[in-house]
Amino acid sequence: MAADRTRRAVLAAGAVCLPMLAVSGCKGVGALAAPPRPAPDVAILRAAIAAEELMIARYDAVVRGSGQLAAVLRPLRAEHRAHLAQLRSRLIVPPAAAARSAAASEERSAAAAEERSAAASPSPAAAAAPALDGASGRGSSDAGSGSASHGEPADVPAGRAAAISFLQGAERAAAATLLRKLPAVSPSLAQLMASVAASEATHVAALAAAGGTA
Amino acid sequence: MARTRPRPAAANEASALQAALAAEHAAVYGYGVVGAYLSGAALTAATSDWVAHEVARDSLEAMLRSAGQQPVAAAVAYRLPHRVHSSAGAMSLAVTLEDRVATAYLGVVAVTSTRIREFGARELLATAMRAASWRGRTVAFPGFPAGALHTARG
Repeated sequence: MAADRTRRAVLAAGAVCLPMLAVSGCKGVGALAAPPRPAPDVAILRAAIAAEELMIARYDAVVRGSGQLAAVLRPLRAEHRAHLAQLRSRLIVPPAAAARSAAASEERSAAAAEERSAAASPSPAAAAAPALDGASGRGSSDAGSGSASHGEPADVPAGRAAAISFLQGAERAAAATLLRKLPAVSPSLAQLMASVAASEATHVAALAAAGGTA
Repeated sequence: MARTRPRPAAANEASALQAALAAEHAAVYGYGVVGAYLSGAALTAATSDWVAHEVARDSLEAMLRSAGQQPVAAAVAYRLPHRVHSSAGAMSLAVTLEDRVATAYLGVVAVTSTRIREFGARELLATAMRAASWRGRTVAFPGFPAGALHTARG
């Protein structure tokens, strides 16, 4: 019944369109067949959301590992939660997103990989990243990192100074990734992403004051 | 014969750059007051921030001129948002100046020209760093007026 009704709707739409084809360039049945391709904003927004989730998971891990740092890290983590909430509020998710959780973990590991490639650009973070990877006893393979089953990032190093440097590198890389994508997004999302990147850049300095390196 | 028709986006770009320039003029004036109440390391920081605003002002003027626009002029004097009697008041004025500049650069980020958008983002980041340093803490959304973004904080 439902299928029949749909077909009739399509036929009706086609009938409406046909006379207008010549004058208005109506796309006819083809326009109804496939959902519109998502705008570049959607893919970039999803990546930004995944990056914030990863950042919060890293702060969580460091706070758990070092109680002394909690007072410094909590306000910064709260700002990341605000970033995440704001980014999520910009994403309109259709109800048929059943495979979301699977996609989310995939995106999170993609975010980690993307961040590493951002950190590979010449910056103070670049020097620290390979050493940290080595210290945590993992290989240099990109596959599967950051995709531990309950969202626990496996790459947070032990020790106060190393943990702070690690978070600084992550903040720097996250800000660089957002800034790199600015040209591709709508004005409104560009404003939000630029603001989040600026906030993350200030976190690097705030972490330096807490005992990391500037 | 290609007629030089102004791009539709050009007017928005010019007005965003003019607004940023006006904010930079105000910051340059304001840092003169800020510096007068500071000494030592704080004065050194204020002087360096003052210079940064002069450099940004000059960049904006050059961008506007190259786009065929007349850059807005600085006012002779500006009414300060609050009276400054002390170093604490001076630092609080610096925060206000940076916040206003940040909001103006957020407008520059909204233009479609990639080059100008990236310039706005760089300046937004720089002003956020200066604001955080004067404020003594960071904020989640530099450039957005407080309360402009409603988020559930967790």
